[in-house]
Amino acid sequence: MKAWFTIVMCFSLSLAWAESPTVWFGKKNASRVLVINSALDLTSFEPILQDFVAQYPDVRVAYRDVNTLELYYLTIKEQSNPVASLAISSAMDLHFKLVNDGYARTYQSSLTDNLPQDFKWRDQLFAFSLEPIVMLVNKDAFPGPLPEDRQSLLQTIRQHGPAMTKRIGTYDIRQSGVGYLLASQDARQADLTWGRLLEAFGSHDVQTYCCTHNIIDDVADGKLVLGYNLLGSYASQRAKDDDRLKMILPKDFTLMLMRAALIPKNAPNPQDAGLFIDFLLSDRAQKMMQEQGLLFPIHPDIKNAEDPFVVSAPGPTGIIELDQQLLVGRDHAKQQRFIRNWEIAFEIQREE
Amino acid sequence: MWQKSLSPQNLSDDEKLALKKAPSLRFRFIVSGVIVICVIAGIAINLIFDYSRQLADLSYDRLLRSALLQMDENIALIDNQVSVDIPWSAFATLAQADEDRVFYKVESLEQGFITGYNDLDSEPPKQPVLDQMQFYNQSYSDELVRFAWLERHLTNPESAQTVRIILGQTRLSRERMASSITQRAVEVVVLIALVAIALIMIGSHLVLRPLHRIEWALEERVKGDLTPITINTPKETHHLKVAINHFMARLQKNLEQLENYTADAAHQLRTPLASLKALAENARDNTSPEKQHQALENIVRQCDYLSQTVTLLLNQAVVSHRLQTHRLEPIDLLEPITASCREHAVPALHQGVRLSYECSLQEAWVLGDSFSIQQMMQNLIENAVRYSGHQKQQQTDVIVRVEELSKIYRIQVIDYGDGIAEEEKERVFERFYRARYDIAGSGVGLSMVKDILDHHHAHIEILDTQPKGTTFQVDIDKLSFFRGQI
Repeated sequence: MKAWFTIVMCFSLSLAWAESPTVWFGKKNASRVLVINSALDLTSFEPILQDFVAQYPDVRVAYRDVNTLELYYLTIKEQSNPVASLAISSAMDLHFKLVNDGYARTYQSSLTDNLPQDFKWRDQLFAFSLEPIVMLVNKDAFPGPLPEDRQSLLQTIRQHGPAMTKRIGTYDIRQSGVGYLLASQDARQADLTWGRLLEAFGSHDVQTYCCTHNIIDDVADGKLVLGYNLLGSYASQRAKDDDRLKMILPKDFTLMLMRAALIPKNAPNPQDAGLFIDFLLSDRAQKMMQEQGLLFPIHPDIKNAEDPFVVSAPGPTGIIELDQQLLVGRDHAKQQRFIRNWEIAFEIQREE
Repeated sequence: MWQKSLSPQNLSDDEKLALKKAPSLRFRFIVSGVIVICVIAGIAINLIFDYSRQLADLSYDRLLRSALLQMDENIALIDNQVSVDIPWSAFATLAQADEDRVFYKVESLEQGFITGYNDLDSEPPKQPVLDQMQFYNQSYSDELVRFAWLERHLTNPESAQTVRIILGQTRLSRERMASSITQRAVEVVVLIALVAIALIMIGSHLVLRPLHRIEWALEERVKGDLTPITINTPKETHHLKVAINHFMARLQKNLEQLENYTADAAHQLRTPLASLKALAENARDNTSPEKQHQALENIVRQCDYLSQTVTLLLNQAVVSHRLQTHRLEPIDLLEPITASCREHAVPALHQGVRLSYECSLQEAWVLGDSFSIQQMMQNLIENAVRYSGHQKQQQTDVIVRVEELSKIYRIQVIDYGDGIAEEEKERVFERFYRARYDIAGSGVGLSMVKDILDHHHAHIEILDTQPKGTTFQVDIDKLSFFRGQI
C-alpha cells in the first residue's frame, strides 16, 4: 500500500512539477543561482524576491512554487542531490519532520542567533512569519449574521442547511500538507468542536481544495460563502482589495501558524540560501511584509493597530509551537486514522 | 663565611654559577605539590565528567520514560489489531529537551511494523525482559541517540500480542546539561587546586624560613665570631643548628691550634736566630782568624740546627694537618717503624749509636695514619739517639722492639743514656720542655708524639732502662676485624 502511495505521490509530483514553471528573478548574467522551492504564493512573495535580487545583484533566484506536501516528498526524493538550496513551507510539521529526520543542514548567523528560540529549531529550521488561521466569508452571499467563532458557524450551518450545502470550502487534508496540519491542530485544540464541525461539513458536502487561492477565488465569486481554515496572509491580502470578502478570526481560538525555511542537507548553494534566510529575517524584509501587506511578520510594528497585518485576535490565540509535538500529528498511525475519519465524515471514497 | 650578606651581588661568579645550577628545595617542594594536586584534580575532573553525564542521563531518562509510558498507555488491541494513538503530551514531555530529535517505533512481534520509523531496528544491549524498560545509547540517523526500550504483552480475551516500543532522543540537551554541571564543578576544582597551590607556595616559604633565619644569623655575624648559634628554631632544623654549632666548635679549635702553632714556630725560630746573630757578631768582631773560623763553624752548626727545627716544624704542621683531615685507616704498623729505623740507622752510627730493630712479627695491623706513625717513630728514635750518644766516646745501643700482646702491639724504644729524672717524666711531653738545654733539640718533638698517640688512642709510658737510660713504651690497639672497624 505504501509503495502504491509513493508511486501515486511521484506521479502527482511530476504533474505538479510540470504545472509550476520556474520563475526567475535577477539579472541573467548573475554569477550565482539560488533555487528556492516554496509553498508560498508568488503574489505574496514576489516583492520580497525582487528586493532581494536588487540588494544582491550577483544572485539570480529561481523560484518554484510547490504544494506543501509535494515539497516534503520532493526534499526527501532529492536528498542526495537537491536542485533547490532553500525550501520554504507553511506546513510546519512536515518541515519539522524533515529536520528531525536529518534532511536539513545547519545555518547560523547573527540574525538567526537573534531569532527567539520559539521560532527556530536546531539552527536548521527558521520561522520568518506568524500568521492567523482565519475564516473568509462572502458578506453578500452569507446567510444570516456573520459567524464570530466555530460555534456560531455550526449554528448557521444548522439553521441555513440548504444555503450552506456545497458552499463551504476547506483544504483536502490528503493533498495539502498545511491543510492536514490545521485540521489536526483544530482537533487537538478542541476535539468536540472539531467532531461536530466535521460532521456538519460532511453532511453539507463541503468542497475540498488543494490550495488556498482556489478557495478564496470561489468565495469571492460567491460560489462558496465561507472558506474555513485559510492562511491569514492570503485572505487578508484579498479581503483588503475586495469589499465582498471579510476575514474573520475565530473568537473561540485562533490558530497561529509559522512559515518556515530550511536548507536541504546537500544544497548546492547553501551560502546564498543562508543569505536569503538572513534577508527574510532582516528588519527590512519584515517591515516590507507588513507595510506592503504580503505576510504577517514575526515581530509586527504595532504602532498602527488598524493595520490588517497586525493580528488582533478577538479571542485566545493558539500558536502552533515549533517543537517535537508536531511529530505526533504526523505519526503514521495517527495520520492514517485521522484521514480515515475525515474521509468517513466527508463520505469520500478512499482512493484505494 | 664571613661575608656580610648573601645577596647575589655579593656572590662570586663561581658561587653565582653554583647557585644557578643548584637544585632548589622550594622548587622541588612546589613542583611535587603541584604535580600531586594536578593528578588529584585530574582524577576529580574525570569523575565529575562521568558523574555529570550520569546525572544528565538520569534526569532526561525520566522524561523519556514518562513519554514512553504515555505512548504505552495508548496502545490497545482493537479488533485484534494493535492500535496506537500517541498522545500529544508524550511529545510535549520530550519537547523539554528543546533541540533534540525524536525517533520512535512501535511494532508488534506478530503484526510487524505499526508506526514510527520503519528502519529503526534497535536491539538493547541487555537480554530483553518483558515489562522492563531499558535505556542505552546507539547511533541512528548520523547521531548518537538515547533509546528507551520496552516490550510487553497486550492481551484481550480473543488474542494476545507482544508489543515493542522504542523511543529515542538525541543527546544534545543531555550533553549541554552535563557540560554545564561539569563546567561548574571543574571551576570549583580548579579554584581549589589553585588555592592549594598558593598554600603550598606560602607553606614552602614558611617551612624554609627557619633555614633562612639560620642563614641570616650566620651572615650577620662579625668576623671571627664562632660562638654557637642561639636563635630558637623548630625541631626539624634543630639538628642542622647543632651540626653547624659543632662544626664551628671544631673550626674554633683548629683556629686555636693554628694560633698555638704560629706561637710555637715563632718561639722555636727566635732562639736559634738570636744565637745565630750573636755568633755572627762574634765572628765579625773577632780579629784572630782561628777564632773567626771557630765562630763560623758555630754559625754553620747553628744553621744545621735551625734547618732541623724548620723541618721538624714543617713535619709537625703536616702531621697536625693530617690528623685533622685524614681518617684513620688499617695500616701495617711495621712499615712506618722499619722505614724510620732504616732512615736513622746511618745518622745514628755517625753519632756513635747502634740502632737495632727487634721484631719477630710479619705484620701488625692497626688503625692509624702511616705518615704520623713514622713521624712519631722518627721523633722517638731521634730523641733516644740524641740523648744516648751525647758526649760519649764509646758506642751505645738504641733498640726498637715491637711485641705482640693479647690486644695491643707494644713498641719500645730503649736507650742507655742518662735517663730522665722521675719528676721530669711528667713534663717531657709538654711543649718546649727540654730536660737538658745542653743538648740540641727543639723541645717540640715529644709533644708532637703525644699529639699523634692521642689521636690514635694509644698509650705512652716512660720507663727506666736497666741499668740506666730511658725506655719509651707505646701501646697501640690491634685492628679488630670482628668489631667491624675496617
